[in-house]
Amino acid sequence: MFDFIVSKYNYWIYVILMMIGFYAMIGKRNLVKKIIGMNLFQTAIILFFVSTAAKRGGTLPIIEHGHDHGAHAIEAAAYINPLPHVLMLTAIVVMVSTLGVALAIVIAIYRRYNTLEEDEILRQRK
Amino acid sequence: MRILALITVIITGIILIYGTVDMPDWGDPNSPASKHVSPEYIEEALEKTATPNIVTAVLADYRSYDTLGETAVIFTAGIACILILRRRRQRK
Amino acid sequence: MIAAFDFMLLLFVIICAIAAISVKDLLSAVYILGAYSFFMCLLWAGMGAVDVAFTEASVSAGIGTVLLIAAVSKTKRRSKD
Repeated sequence: MFDFIVSKYNYWIYVILMMIGFYAMIGKRNLVKKIIGMNLFQTAIILFFVSTAAKRGGTLPIIEHGHDHGAHAIEAAAYINPLPHVLMLTAIVVMVSTLGVALAIVIAIYRRYNTLEEDEILRQRK
Repeated sequence: MRILALITVIITGIILIYGTVDMPDWGDPNSPASKHVSPEYIEEALEKTATPNIVTAVLADYRSYDTLGETAVIFTAGIACILILRRRRQRK
Repeated sequence: MIAAFDFMLLLFVIICAIAAISVKDLLSAVYILGAYSFFMCLLWAGMGAVDVAFTEASVSAGIGTVLLIAAVSKTKRRSKD
């Protein structure tokens, strides 16, 4: 039972982080708070993907003495998995693009309705 | 409304935590994610691309079209920000 | 990665996340989100993902915080919840 908790508690903390972001997206009424919640959500998913690449006893995915062209063989078990890192680099850049467009839309909404609260915007639209 | 959001979040969290029970252990070297295709990348990246950093080799050599598409995404986002924030000229 | 350090960083990350969505001043929320991004970056550097860590430190904690501060300074700073 103790081994089970030790080997899984990281995943539970990622789920808790993701749910904090999800609650901010659907429960808060301020639009900037919703965007902050979206950022938390995406960061939790990236954290989960990066953690699937971790290997016990593995080092960074940079090959030692790479320029020497030595005859030593490269063992896959000695380096951690590089593929999730590559995919998450793309995801971080897309995350910031999404953040920029969302903030531009929030500024446009503020110019039109002069408020950031969702319920006041809905009341003005009636 | 806030109570409904809290209930939804808690139910989703319980479902996701139930899903982690079948996941491989954290840092397991024999997990399926690190057994399927990644050993080939680690072993062949140096002789195929002559780059010691495997992440950079995959990002800029194996998947360079993906990186090109990523640049297109950033360009689209910048154009969208300019179009949204532009103040329209008032005609009288 | 050392287990106690890992656990402490995860605890700080959760505290920062809860504080960022519950504080009423939006500019404070943005600063706490920057701190959250840097703790996340430390966590990734501890897991061995150095490329992801410095991309996060420069792009998300740098440009993201600047974009959020610009948006908050163009709009209202107070929030009701």
